Amino acid sequence: MAGKLLQLFLSFLKIGFTSFGGLSMVPLVNSEMISHGFMTQSEVMDIVAIAEMTPGPLGLNCATFAGLRAAGILGAVVSVIGVLTPSFTLAYVVGVFFEKFRKSRTVSSMMNGVRPSAIGMILGVMVSLSLSNYVGETGDISYVSILLSLLDVFLLVKLKMSIPKVIGINAVLGIILFGFLGLN
Amino acid sequence: MKMLSSLFFQFLKFGAFTFGGGWSLIAQMQKEFVEKRKLITNEELLDLTSVGRSIPGTMIGNTAMLFGYREAGFLGGLVCLVGMTLAPFLILTAVTFFYNALLGSFIMDAVMKGIRAAVVPIILSAVLGLMKSGYRYPVFIVCTVISFVLYAFFNVNCIYLVVIGMILGVLITEICERKEKANGR
Repeated sequence: MAGKLLQLFLSFLKIGFTSFGGLSMVPLVNSEMISHGFMTQSEVMDIVAIAEMTPGPLGLNCATFAGLRAAGILGAVVSVIGVLTPSFTLAYVVGVFFEKFRKSRTVSSMMNGVRPSAIGMILGVMVSLSLSNYVGETGDISYVSILLSLLDVFLLVKLKMSIPKVIGINAVLGIILFGFLGLN
Repeated sequence: MKMLSSLFFQFLKFGAFTFGGGWSLIAQMQKEFVEKRKLITNEELLDLTSVGRSIPGTMIGNTAMLFGYREAGFLGGLVCLVGMTLAPFLILTAVTFFYNALLGSFIMDAVMKGIRAAVVPIILSAVLGLMKSGYRYPVFIVCTVISFVLYAFFNVNCIYLVVIGMILGVLITEICERKEKANGR
């Protein structure tokens, strides 16, 4: 058992240091889990479905689910610690230096360009999320989802409603619109 | 100590309401820390996010660490990480036991379809705030366009986008400052 936990930890340590979170982790999780015999191919495929169903960042959910399947709760704990290791080592060191130098002329010039680039990235993420959220697998567009999103924009931007409230409203409307009324 | 527990509970809540990936956690940070409590500015949040994105590991774990470190040192960062992880961890653990029942359930599908519709609006509401102050000079919109096109249409890795941003940042800032000097005095 201890050996298995150590192996899981090392696997996710490796995944943490060689990936950049989110879906980019899935291929790595795939090869690590299958090569050690921790999970089968179809279990790995389930990861994404279940990681998106529950709250939390995808990368962490992948680690939790894989760890659980491979070695129970302890497995999940060591996997999460493994995948978060870059954050409390590398990110910490970078943070120390960044706070020290962010006022310097060169770093602040660099950040002038990095900030707008980051906004471009987020806009790109929004496009890919829109494609997966509004267009079904068969290519049909979910107009009800789009209308619901427009309502959310109004609630968030105009009424300044909090994010948890909006999520709650969407869950209820989801049951009504997609569940009972069977809309698409 | 009070600082640490407030960071912990804040990130506990963020973790519980993060759907559709790390960016919706950034959106919650923007609403809470920038708009409501004015702990950091939009620019600083963008800086932390960009730095977090360029280090290996999960973007949001790195960003949480960087934010916590800034507010309360190493322990602050650690507390944010643990807080953020806890709720998703417990929920996912519980869900795994009912996994087979939930995966095909028609109510669960309907709930998730409803929640998914909120993800893009949540991120949009944060981006609108971030855009207000992300631009030192208006020309920097060029960086946004370049990185959007490369990311959305050519699938270019975010690291390269950050590096391109750095180079353009130094160049454009230099040119704009020279121009200002030439025009000013």
